[in-house]
Amino acid sequence: MTAKNIKVYRDLMGANATWAAKTRRLLEGERVAMVNLIGSPGSGKTTLLEKSARHLKKTRFAVLEGDVETTRDAERIQKLKVPVSQLLTGGACHLEAKLVHYALKDLPLDRLDLVVVENVGNMVCPAEFDIGEDAKVAVLSVAEGEDKPLKYPLLFRESKAVVLTKLDLLPHLDFDLKACLEYIRQINSAAPVFPVSAKTGEGLKEWAGWVLQLK
Amino acid sequence: MHEFSICEGLVRAVRQEMKKHGAPAGSLRRARVVVGALHQIVPENLEFAYEVLVRDTEAAGSRIELRVVPITAKCGACGWTGTVTPPVFLCGACNSGDLELTTGKELYLDNLEIEQDDG
Repeated sequence: MTAKNIKVYRDLMGANATWAAKTRRLLEGERVAMVNLIGSPGSGKTTLLEKSARHLKKTRFAVLEGDVETTRDAERIQKLKVPVSQLLTGGACHLEAKLVHYALKDLPLDRLDLVVVENVGNMVCPAEFDIGEDAKVAVLSVAEGEDKPLKYPLLFRESKAVVLTKLDLLPHLDFDLKACLEYIRQINSAAPVFPVSAKTGEGLKEWAGWVLQLK
Repeated sequence: MHEFSICEGLVRAVRQEMKKHGAPAGSLRRARVVVGALHQIVPENLEFAYEVLVRDTEAAGSRIELRVVPITAKCGACGWTGTVTPPVFLCGACNSGDLELTTGKELYLDNLEIEQDDG
């Protein structure tokens, strides 16, 4: 018995990439921008969306909520009278392009300018998957510690912007804001950072302004 | 544990390639996979996923072999090229963050090692 090697070269993200490309064509045709919010559970992604809505009034937007279980987040968004679709992954730690593509087809895309996707709370896996978005955005709360960008570099490298949430908690924490900004710069010098507080409203207008220019 | 999602695609590709090349069940020794260092893939998790997912298929008994490609980049400011080590993505010469990554994002099934009769 001998062994022979067969050269194959097969891209393992191929199937996901195909769906992501399909989604890009769909959204381009409808002139809709898509943002993919990624951050840990409890980083404040849903609250950020709730409080940003007021500043996004000029645009017609919808939300796709990715969760492992429950429709609680979608119910929160529904109260804002914004079209929302809940995606339940049933255990999977991230959204994949195919699931997002089918969810988009259920939205009234011809009457929208923007879709915001709230990915499953997780800083690792969602960073690996292209879902056809225009921009991934890393959401990090100051309660999580300034070294998180160093621990999850792929997310911060892949993101086109970073939102630092819960800024109002700073006086109660030892969070080193300057160090955090420097870590983000080292990983991704092109990404703007938006420090915000959903409680006081600080920074939300600037963050929403950045989202609006994606159109 | 996104390794399982990735591995599902891998096992599908392995089985399709075996069929295409007429490799009989049980003849596959190794599936060699190339992974860019930018991917957060834990080799042990991928190996475990592979072992589970090839069970009861024609690829059962084969092993996965990973080759990791380092992250390299070209600096847009000074033209430097070299290796980048996360979490710092800065030019090794001028410290600029204007880097274009040239390798490190690979993720593909490279080749299959198949046993064959000499006769």
